[in-house]
Amino acid sequence: MIRFFRRSLTARTVALTVLLSSLAVILIGGFLSYSLANSFYQDRLSQVLSETERAVGSVQNTVAAASLNDETALQTLLNSVVPSLEISGGTGSRQVALLRSPDQGQLQLFQSPISQNLELSSIPESLREAVRQNADSLTYTPVQLTVDGVLVPGITVGAPLSIPVAGEFELYLVFNLAAEEQALILVQNALAFGGIALIVMIALLSYFVTRSLVGPVERAAAAAQLISEGNLDQRLAERGEDVMALLSKSFNKMAASLQQQIQQLDSLSRMQRRFVSDVSHELRTPLTTIKLAGEVIFGNRSKLDPALARSAELLQDQIDRFEKLLGDLLEISRYDAGAVVAEWEQHDLNAVVGAAIASIEPLAKSKNCEIFVELPSTPVRAELDAKRIERLLRNLLSNAIEHGEEKPIIVEVGQNSQAVAVCVTDQGVGMTRAQLERVFDRFWRADPARQRSVGGTGLGLAIAREDSALHRGWLQVWSKPKRGTSFRLTLPKSRDAVIANSPLPLPPRSMEA
Amino acid sequence: MTHRILVVDDDDALREMVGLVLASNGYETVFAADGISAVEVFRAQNPDLVLLDIMLPGQSGIEVCREIRAFSGTPIVMLTAKGDTDDVVAGLEAGADDYVIKPHNGVELVARIRARLRPLGEDAGMLQVGPLSLDPKTFEVRRGDAQIPLTPLEFKLLHTLAAKPQQVFSREMLLDQVWGYQYKADTRLVNVHVQRLRSKVEEDPENPKIVMTVRGHGYRAGSDSL
Repeated sequence: MIRFFRRSLTARTVALTVLLSSLAVILIGGFLSYSLANSFYQDRLSQVLSETERAVGSVQNTVAAASLNDETALQTLLNSVVPSLEISGGTGSRQVALLRSPDQGQLQLFQSPISQNLELSSIPESLREAVRQNADSLTYTPVQLTVDGVLVPGITVGAPLSIPVAGEFELYLVFNLAAEEQALILVQNALAFGGIALIVMIALLSYFVTRSLVGPVERAAAAAQLISEGNLDQRLAERGEDVMALLSKSFNKMAASLQQQIQQLDSLSRMQRRFVSDVSHELRTPLTTIKLAGEVIFGNRSKLDPALARSAELLQDQIDRFEKLLGDLLEISRYDAGAVVAEWEQHDLNAVVGAAIASIEPLAKSKNCEIFVELPSTPVRAELDAKRIERLLRNLLSNAIEHGEEKPIIVEVGQNSQAVAVCVTDQGVGMTRAQLERVFDRFWRADPARQRSVGGTGLGLAIAREDSALHRGWLQVWSKPKRGTSFRLTLPKSRDAVIANSPLPLPPRSMEA
Repeated sequence: MTHRILVVDDDDALREMVGLVLASNGYETVFAADGISAVEVFRAQNPDLVLLDIMLPGQSGIEVCREIRAFSGTPIVMLTAKGDTDDVVAGLEAGADDYVIKPHNGVELVARIRARLRPLGEDAGMLQVGPLSLDPKTFEVRRGDAQIPLTPLEFKLLHTLAAKPQQVFSREMLLDQVWGYQYKADTRLVNVHVQRLRSKVEEDPENPKIVMTVRGHGYRAGSDSL
């Protein structure tokens, strides 16, 4: 849920709008409801008071006009007051009580007539006391009445009444406010309904407004995502002339220019790769002729005078070098064109390492360089392209021989559950950090001034890196000036496995001391 | 006996140079510069071996190879500037016996040619494999009375396998004994030619009875005894 809100701008906006507008609706509704209730009550109160005043007046007049001395007649008169007041009320039902004030010694026989359904609890004792003390004015209090078993609000108004002969009385009128309450509830319901409807409308409104604003942005974001995934044809619909249309137009323009540039670069690099490949192929036929001719001359150098014979030797060496360079160029152009397909087969890495060392042995001997090999006693089986891995190892070995200063070279092989590894370590000149960063660059040489004795093409490590990447392996290097250099090749045991760690440490154990 | 070799290459200098190398090794040479004339020269001169460039004007070396194979089993060695899989496999499937990648040296080229022209051993006698009988003197293979035409290379491959029916031959062993490679070479040579051989001698090439695959090891002849 929280994630949903974090992800959806629309949901967030709508929720916030609804929250704020609900708050406003509740405040306004509450205020309206309160002031309406108040004004209803005040209106009714003033009406109630004036009715009571009239009632008191009429009772006093009646009593005064009667001028009775007969107690029974007086009692009858008093009894008639209650029904006459019950029906003379203009609005709503009211109940009447004519109560004789307590603490009067004489004429105890007078009864206190009250309306039929009147509960005496609606005339609280506190009110009666207040009425007796307030002889000149009306006193009132809000009360709860029970009508047909339902509690309704009411007002009880009381006034003292002095009746000749009979003594002090109190006249109470109890007014029912059920109608007012009904009206108030109706208004409140209308307010609540109106408020809820308003909030729903605001929610819908804010949803559609937000959609109309966020929609294009979301579409743009989705398109940008697709473009970044390489789907360069992605465009936005351009409608109208508003700011969203401007966004779409600018976005499309950007996408178009991006696409154009990428395609340009793409075709440029394709052309360039194509060129390298074509040149390499075109060079092969003349090189073959040159090579065959050189061989014939070289094979007959004993018949030539010394200078010509030496020339024939130089020619032969350089043709070999040229051929190697051409081969490496072709190989790297194959990698650039993505045209390399590995020939996967199960092999024992020990055997591949052995073959690589055997083929480099003559070079090592000529450089007075010893190679020490540490192989596991069990076969190190892995799925690999043996030709490429052997070539890769030959490259690492010839590098080690070239830079190893005639000190021994150590070759280690290791394996763990998912990977196999070879580490080739020399104890020669080593490299600085800056040199290390460029070691896999094409045609880069650690020290241009250094005499080239082994005659690598300068592409060996670049190809080695591609070979390793083809196997989804790692080719890593560690080096320290004057200590030596160590290359570690780690390969997954099967072609679709992924390596997590290498079976051999880098730097190797021999370099840790 | 001097062997006659047809050199097909559109590059004049290379053609002449290859001619010089071959002549100095005691071969007689004839030349063709494009794919169309290659077949004509072949018919006219009837060479013992064809050295065939793949990239040729007119029609490609692969086409030429297919055309020659349609009527002759003469050894064909392809010359290719590309070591790429597609070219090599296409050439082998069209019937070439072997291939050499440019730039090659003379020693290598002559070694490949010599291997292809080398006759079967003197002691080779009649052999029987399944329903087939092999006669090394006439290079004839018969199933009952029906003669099956094989190229010399295919015959040598079948003969090598049939001579030791109890033995499983790895691809490397076959490369050494049939093609004459002393060092590691392309095992696709073996794969493609076993397929071609099967398509000729097997009744159902999908379900071979004569040239059996031994998974993970190589091939052997016949199915009954092992």
